[in-house]
Amino acid sequence: MTNILLVEELERSFDDLLAVAGVSFFVESGETYGLLGPNGAGKTTMISMIAGLLEADRGSIRVAGQPMATTSTAAKRAIGLVPQDIAIYPDLTAKENLAFFGSLYGMRGAALNARIETVLEIVGLRDRADDRSDQYSGGMKRRLNIAVGLLHEPQLLILDEPTVGVDPQSRNAILESVEALSTDGMSVLYTTHYMEEAERLCDRVGIIDNGLLVAEGSRRDLVDGIGQNDTVHVSGTGDLRSATEALRSAEGVVQAAEAHGVITVMVDRAAGRLPSILATCGEAGVSVTALDVSEPNLEAVFLHLTGKALRDET
Amino acid sequence: MRILTIARNALRRLFRDRSNIFFVFVLPIALVLLIGAQFGGGFTPTVGVTAPVGDELADRLVAELAELYQIREYEIRDELVLSVERGWVESGLEIPVRFTDSVLAGERPEIGYLSQPDTSGQGVQTAVSATLERILAPITAASVVSETQGIPLEQAEVVVQGVAGSVPPVQVETRTTGEALFPNLGQFDLGASSQLVLFMFLTGLTGSAALIQSRQLGVTRRMLSTPASTRTILAGEALGRLGVTLFQGVYIVAVTLVVFRVNWGDPLGAAAIMLVFGMVASSAAMLLGSLFSNDQQAGGIAVVLGLGLAALGGSMVPVEIFSSTMQSISMFTPHYWANDAFAELVRRDGSVADILPQLGVMAAYAVVLSALATWRLQRAITR
Ligand SMILES: Nc1ncnc2c1ncn2[C@@H]1O[C@H](COP(=O)(O)OP(=O)(O)OP(=O)(O)O)[C@@H](O)[C@H]1O
Ligand SMILES: [Mg+2]
Repeated sequence: MTNILLVEELERSFDDLLAVAGVSFFVESGETYGLLGPNGAGKTTMISMIAGLLEADRGSIRVAGQPMATTSTAAKRAIGLVPQDIAIYPDLTAKENLAFFGSLYGMRGAALNARIETVLEIVGLRDRADDRSDQYSGGMKRRLNIAVGLLHEPQLLILDEPTVGVDPQSRNAILESVEALSTDGMSVLYTTHYMEEAERLCDRVGIIDNGLLVAEGSRRDLVDGIGQNDTVHVSGTGDLRSATEALRSAEGVVQAAEAHGVITVMVDRAAGRLPSILATCGEAGVSVTALDVSEPNLEAVFLHLTGKALRDET
Repeated sequence: MRILTIARNALRRLFRDRSNIFFVFVLPIALVLLIGAQFGGGFTPTVGVTAPVGDELADRLVAELAELYQIREYEIRDELVLSVERGWVESGLEIPVRFTDSVLAGERPEIGYLSQPDTSGQGVQTAVSATLERILAPITAASVVSETQGIPLEQAEVVVQGVAGSVPPVQVETRTTGEALFPNLGQFDLGASSQLVLFMFLTGLTGSAALIQSRQLGVTRRMLSTPASTRTILAGEALGRLGVTLFQGVYIVAVTLVVFRVNWGDPLGAAAIMLVFGMVASSAAMLLGSLFSNDQQAGGIAVVLGLGLAALGGSMVPVEIFSSTMQSISMFTPHYWANDAFAELVRRDGSVADILPQLGVMAAYAVVLSALATWRLQRAITR
């Protein structure tokens, strides 16, 4: 198989901040590759360089064999970018937006119109195609944002957190479209900080934190890599921080981290450890309101590798 | 081709904004009308008069003229002259002292007639002469009869009724006052070209807000992810601004040409001014769009700059009535050169060759402004 994307030693700083700290990975043709990382990990910075919007300080990018830089129009033909922040004209209709970007890709006439109908169908916006996009709901704008990236049937579709701020129904619709595109053979680079999305969509996942690719592989590879550990989520009120500290040194605990009122604890096996977890929390002055145990997953991998919780949503 | 796509999109978005419809379509024409009514004298011209106090014939003359025109009386001749020069009144009439006595004495007193040598002034002059003739002819005749035949004036007047009109009328001596301000100028001509300059620049410059919006919306960056190069994107956006500016210009010219029959002078010359001045306006918009990252801020500054430069450049009040210091300052605005070029075409019947200097100055503006804008924007886009 050939690589549609090859990234080597990619690096970029903003003043003193090293946003992308030397990242290498590749995406095979037809593959869906996920970049999973928390807010500020450097996902958008990487995507911007891969899409030729931002100059890299160091490293190289090849898309479909062509070198990518801000000036590389040949490489840009091969990609379709769906930026994290919705980038469409609010005062134009869906069709007008699509026609505009389509012509930037050199499409015109009947071929363009036919393709516009197709992508509107894919994202489910056909019946609202002639409405100005500022009259759309957030989810519909997101879908139009995606449609623009699909227009010219790119070899590599790049989606930067396409489901952020979207209702569950729209999110599911978006995920289904991506799955369908992938089934049809499109290569996809997908960034997210939602573990479930990465697990559901991606053939391989790169886990990034602080601008570094800390691990990479299929879900199975990654999960196997951390051994047969279970993850316990503890929700509660009180001093969660000191409870987390205490849990880290408790017996059988591999890792523990706290975020947004939830402590994520990785234990060697959940069954025997729950009483001691509850006791430790109680001693630290936390009253536990909910407790759930999950099988090893990418979130556990992230916790294992970085000592931080990935979760960001409610 | 991509450049045209981007440019066409800029025009399309201009028409999407409802508030633009008023500013682009309605306001310019309303102002041309308004200024035409003021400067061109409207439909009832005002005539300024200095007349000797309590003089019977002078009073009669003024009363008759008041049927036709709006009359403004002046006590001091210099004020009358100034008013004519400034265009506050279309023409001035100086009725000499002891007017009635002179007429009755059979003399031919000279009535001074002041006007700007433009068409509406000429019309007034003809009407004043006719009125004078009508009033004075019988009286002049009567006084001649009274004197030669030795009969009292009242009787002589009765005699004259029959032979009225057979005696040559009082001569109205015409002088133009000061420099000819606006020769060969129709009622709406002055307002139209100055408003064209004002609105082309204003509409062009407010386009900077749309440019900033594109950046804020992330659309500009997204364009960069397509095979469109930075240069193509910038050229397209610049061409879009130019399209908007030229559209504004062509619209004003077309409407004023058809509705008000405005004289735009040599078509080639007028087109050249619009093209080059449009380039100045659109590159100024690009520069403004590169200097600000907030569209409302830029929009506000565009309006202030658009109106301020227009005022300085003689688009609101003709530079001819500026003080000489102000005239020198005025020359730093591109508006000055556009207005000057139109003056050359319209008032002095110039051709393209005659406005080459003005076109050159404007072209220099366009080059400098767009170079600055390109340099700034290229950095702003790929940060
Ligand atoms: N233009 C910029 N100027 C300065 N710092 C920046 C800029 N863009 C990104 N950064 C910084 O670089 C780091 C990585 O940001 P980036 O947007 O790539 O993260 P991300 O993984 O996409 O996060 P999120 O999930 O919130 O979108 C952050 O610390 C961010 O503050
Ligand atoms: Mg991001």
